[in-house]
Amino acid sequence: MKKQRHILSRIFIILVILFLYVPIFVLMLLGFNESRYNSLPFKFTTQWYEEMIANEALLSAAKNSLLLALVTGIICTVLATLFILGQRYLSRRTSGLFNSIVMMPMSIPWLIMGLSILLMIRSMDFTKNMAFVLAGHVIISLPYALLVLRARMSSLDKSLEEMSASLGAGPLTTFRRVTLPAIAPAMVAGGFLAFMISFDNFAISYFLIPNGVTTLPIEIQTSIKFGFTPEINAISTVIIVFSLVILLIVGIIMRSNLKDMLGGKK
Amino acid sequence: MKFDRRQALTWPSMIMLFLFALLPLVIMLVTSFQSDTTGSFTLENYERFFSNPTYLKLTGKTIVMSLAVTAVSLLIAYPLAYIMAKKLRGMRNIILVLVIIPFFTNQLVRVYSWLIFLQDGGIFNNFLSLFGLFEDGLGLLYTQGAVIIGLTHAFFPYMVVTIYMSLERMDDAMLEASRSLGASKFTTFRRVIFPLSMPGVISGIMIVFVPALGTFVEPRILGGTDGTVIGTVIEDQFFEIAAWNFGAAIAFLLLALVLISMTALNMAGKRWETE
Repeated sequence: MKKQRHILSRIFIILVILFLYVPIFVLMLLGFNESRYNSLPFKFTTQWYEEMIANEALLSAAKNSLLLALVTGIICTVLATLFILGQRYLSRRTSGLFNSIVMMPMSIPWLIMGLSILLMIRSMDFTKNMAFVLAGHVIISLPYALLVLRARMSSLDKSLEEMSASLGAGPLTTFRRVTLPAIAPAMVAGGFLAFMISFDNFAISYFLIPNGVTTLPIEIQTSIKFGFTPEINAISTVIIVFSLVILLIVGIIMRSNLKDMLGGKK
Repeated sequence: MKFDRRQALTWPSMIMLFLFALLPLVIMLVTSFQSDTTGSFTLENYERFFSNPTYLKLTGKTIVMSLAVTAVSLLIAYPLAYIMAKKLRGMRNIILVLVIIPFFTNQLVRVYSWLIFLQDGGIFNNFLSLFGLFEDGLGLLYTQGAVIIGLTHAFFPYMVVTIYMSLERMDDAMLEASRSLGASKFTTFRRVIFPLSMPGVISGIMIVFVPALGTFVEPRILGGTDGTVIGTVIEDQFFEIAAWNFGAAIAFLLLALVLISMTALNMAGKRWETE
């Protein structure tokens, strides 16, 4: 009886994992299949990857996505670090208020965030430009960078900094020699996570991107709408592998704080 | 109160949030009270929404769809979290990581993968017809069922995390006490484990239900004509019809729905924690 239960548990876990991964795996597989319509039988080809590499629109979208994510990652790292350092000197109430404002884009649908910025651009008679896309990406990615940093910060002993100060170190020296080394890994991990949120983002870019510019998610959406070939499987596979590498980096850096990080999402 | 200069470190983030989140939301609210034609103050955008049964029905449909996604997610996430927290030892971290990874894969890639997976004559259909099932096509793509599958796939992983956290924190001594006092396994679950896991369940519901209300990509792509929800209606106002003021009004109503749901769930969570 007990053994049987155990087997049922395992079957359940396997089913859930299959549900999570089979469609993605099938997508990757069909990127190497000859059929234009993603159907069987399977005949191996690298044709779609060759077409992908020759596709100027996709390449330019990839370049835009990478650049946007890179700048978003850097800005979020800086903003989140400053915020988390300064937050400790706020009164409890202000700290709570500021925190809920910064975390807000995590719970408001990005559809609303994106189109409200679009409405602002219009009502102020600006034209759409990449700066607004970047700003939108920064505010939605910032909460994630903060989550990572906070997980690390909570395990940082404040008395270390006080000790350093009482031994005569100035605030900058204390920051450089004590605080920074302690939180540097979380800064990197948070930056990477922000990078990924931006790299994957569709909704904000969709509303704010200037005409004629695209990102990878927008390019995929356009293809789905107007006819696609397994070229999209190829680019998707590249995106998946790329995301996995970044996740792996974040995971390795934050290994010991992984639980604080996951539990901190509110 | 004394002002500590170091507080100013929080300002860059606050300025960003003010300029690109709070201010735009205020502008959206103002826009929603402006007339499409004259630009003067009006309630007509809201009147138009509430006087048209189509929009009310769509709101209802969006809520029902989000509830369905939440229910399916719970059915997957709770047993999984329970098995991980109470039955497994070495494997739990690996499974947690496996569950969480797809949460961070590209949304469009995920939707696209379901699009080709569920299509008539697609791999899943091929697989089922090996057993003589659905040989004339699955007929699942471009239905609400496909949307619910896609959204569940997108949102349930985080629910596993919140429930798992609450189950793992639980003191096992309490369960032994319950059992040694003669409670059956089922009673222990119903009276001890389940109530104690409620905070995790409620934050899990929040993490699934609230974002489901505001989706437009999955319904549009996987639901076809059957996938019209509030999110896609808002999208249409901006990209198809250029009815900006009306669109702003619907967006604001959606935001209100989101905030009300969050407040209600927060209150429910607090009640469970004090009891």
